[in-house]
Amino acid sequence: MPHVTFIHGIANKPPADDLLAIWRRTLAEAAEPLPLGDLGVTSSLVYWADLMYEMPDMDLAAHEGVLENTPQAIDAGGGAELPVAANERERKFIAAMRARLTSMSDAEIDAAAASHAPAPAGTGGAGALERVPLPWFLKKPLMSVLLRDVHHYLFDIEFGPPGKAPVRIQQRIRKRFVEALAAPGITGPHVVVSHSMGTVIAYDCLKRVAACPKVDGLITIGSPLGLDEIQDQMQPGWSRDDGFPKERVSDRWFNLFDRLDPVCGFDPSLENDYRRGGQRAVLDQAVGNTGAWRHSASKYLRQPGFVQALRSLLKV
Amino acid sequence: MGVDLDALRERTEQAIARVRGAGSQAELGQARELVLELRNARLYPELLRLAEAISRREPGNARNRRLYAQALIEQGCVTVAIDVLKPLASRLPRTDPEQAEAAGLLGRAYKQIFFDAGDKTADAAREALKQAIAIYRKPFEKDAANTWHGVNLLALLARARRLGLRVAPELEPARVAKDVIARLEAVAPEARDEWHLPTLAEASLGLNDWSAVEAALKGYVADEKAQAFMIASTLRQFTQVWDIEAVDERGRALADILRARLLQVSGGQIELTPKSLQRARAQGEPPAGQLEAVLGQLGSKTWKWWKIGLDRAASVCSVRTKVGDRMGTGWLVRAGSLNLAPADGLLVVTNFHVVNAQGAHNGITPESAEVVFEAADANKTYAIQEIVWSSPPDRHDCTVLRLAEPVAGIQPLPLGKALPLVDATAHVYLIGHPGGRDLAFSMQDNALLDHEGPPNGKPAIEGVCRVHYRAPTEGGSSGSPVFNAALWEVIALHHSGGKLGMPRLNGQEGTYAANEGIWVQSIVAAMAAG
Repeated sequence: MPHVTFIHGIANKPPADDLLAIWRRTLAEAAEPLPLGDLGVTSSLVYWADLMYEMPDMDLAAHEGVLENTPQAIDAGGGAELPVAANERERKFIAAMRARLTSMSDAEIDAAAASHAPAPAGTGGAGALERVPLPWFLKKPLMSVLLRDVHHYLFDIEFGPPGKAPVRIQQRIRKRFVEALAAPGITGPHVVVSHSMGTVIAYDCLKRVAACPKVDGLITIGSPLGLDEIQDQMQPGWSRDDGFPKERVSDRWFNLFDRLDPVCGFDPSLENDYRRGGQRAVLDQAVGNTGAWRHSASKYLRQPGFVQALRSLLKV
Repeated sequence: MGVDLDALRERTEQAIARVRGAGSQAELGQARELVLELRNARLYPELLRLAEAISRREPGNARNRRLYAQALIEQGCVTVAIDVLKPLASRLPRTDPEQAEAAGLLGRAYKQIFFDAGDKTADAAREALKQAIAIYRKPFEKDAANTWHGVNLLALLARARRLGLRVAPELEPARVAKDVIARLEAVAPEARDEWHLPTLAEASLGLNDWSAVEAALKGYVADEKAQAFMIASTLRQFTQVWDIEAVDERGRALADILRARLLQVSGGQIELTPKSLQRARAQGEPPAGQLEAVLGQLGSKTWKWWKIGLDRAASVCSVRTKVGDRMGTGWLVRAGSLNLAPADGLLVVTNFHVVNAQGAHNGITPESAEVVFEAADANKTYAIQEIVWSSPPDRHDCTVLRLAEPVAGIQPLPLGKALPLVDATAHVYLIGHPGGRDLAFSMQDNALLDHEGPPNGKPAIEGVCRVHYRAPTEGGSSGSPVFNAALWEVIALHHSGGKLGMPRLNGQEGTYAANEGIWVQSIVAAMAAG
């Protein structure tokens, strides 16, 4: 029977069961409803927020994709510190990613965040975050969370939040992903739905981890996989001409993005960067989320384009 | 999830046995509390038996007598309830809270007599209305904190004025409404009980202040944890007492919004006459902002879902004898959905035990049967041309009928490909013509209990996949379609149940109260296999 494996993105999240319930409910309540339970579609969630954060976020309402008034509501909860580079390679990566997000200095960001003044909409700065019409006291923690979570995964940092033993982040998350895909009882069609940093993890595993099981379809939403900095870290394995994870994805790969989603940055389209045998294979689709915060998973899940893509992969 | 009705019924049986026997005082005390639980679960037949047993041991127990009387009203024995309540209200001291409760219930009994009356201007109806007003008036005038009595007084006065009945001419409904609202607003927020908002909504109706009505409703109707009984109570009060659907478009739309929401919440159930179903289907989107005002951001989606459900109900037919006795329910399906030709032909599905070639199992033969799509045209009957396929009650309990003439203007029901996953939140909907209430469509939410389908099901009968679900009140009607919750696709053919003693599925020990249906795709597969 059809199965969906979800994987979440950056920042702290509600407990795994609650997050899965929120996403399932979001789909069931979409304008074009996709009630997975009614359709006999089982689902599971690859949860990794517990590796990065001390306690789950209990403000469940913040994750429904309606509010935009707290760090939690804009994927910035958890209180991460900016990562510290251990070597030149990491330093370059962090600097490049930071430059993608903003051209402001740390001091300018601190000053803007302290004033609590709303950032003017569409100021057209050099970074993706500058296009987001939210105040800097919200955007500053977002930047920290984004850079920290991405860095720790890609560089397999040994890390543990307060009260938890440190683990190698990439190895542990990869293990969870592989085990989730291999869970007993899953038949098909099996589709991976990934959001944000989860798209990087899903791609990394499906393309580069030999033990990873095969799936039928892949959907990425709000993905930073178009960024050169991320693609550089997907080597060996990734190449522009053969980036499609054909080894483990037998059906289609849909990629949904909002042009004002700062995590996709200025490279939201993936079809040119993840070709199959030199041919374009990823099905890019631009969508228009609402509000100031366009990266919200719930907003993507409500998109008719998403529902249609998932339905077609699940064949329901 | 709701109350475990099986467990409650079982505890009731045990309690009755103990109270009738040599039950201790402690056991008697437990039985008294159980009466309240039965009232809250609306298990009135069980309540009557237990309250009777307690009354024999404790004839002076006022609360027990009052709850006994309430159950009598709910069961339609209103005049008997009045005979119980009158002496109770007069013998209790005014300081006893049960006195006000008994008096209020007496008012409710008279109110019911008035609303049950076909001719509201008949002497008996007017007298009942007069009695009800007099009864509600006393406690409210004595202490305006009795807002429940006040709002009932208001509703009855307003109705009486609209009907042109001269009852309590010295009372001004708008004045009563303002008094009730003032009293409600004086209650500290932390001291407000669950009936605060419903009472406020109703009192605001008395001032024709629709915005205030909708704002109060939103507080409990749009809530994620909205309770079916609260919405049902408001709907009953608004439609039966206030008759808001007769007032204007906004009133009609509001009643439909409440119905839509009631059906959506766990344990919800609504009944519609064919005429009211037709009217609801024709009802356009509520006036701008009203949906959102009552239901918040989910309003538009709820409305859309409700309208699809109404359209599905129009495809449900009554299966009856040619002299008009209703035998069960059927529903229209496209032949292609059953892999039959011609694919665009329309067929009717019902139970074998409703129609079969021999008239066996208390069913009728196709020659003596006819079907009526009552929501489309209650006067149009369709004879049966032939039985296309059938499977006996111990297998699929299904008969597929071809009608003697084509059906026009009614859409066939879509079939779901899969069964819903069984989890604590899963539920399904039944639409059918329940027995005992003529010409009524019942749309009811059922908790999905178990099924023999994928991924974990183990069908006990090869090729037959059973589905179990439980209604909050009663079983469904034979032959009803069972729908998945969000999409209104048919997933099963209802064929039996609603009672205790249904063996559990998938090799599990024991029995429970459950409805049973057969997965439509196992029927489709059986048809394909010949």
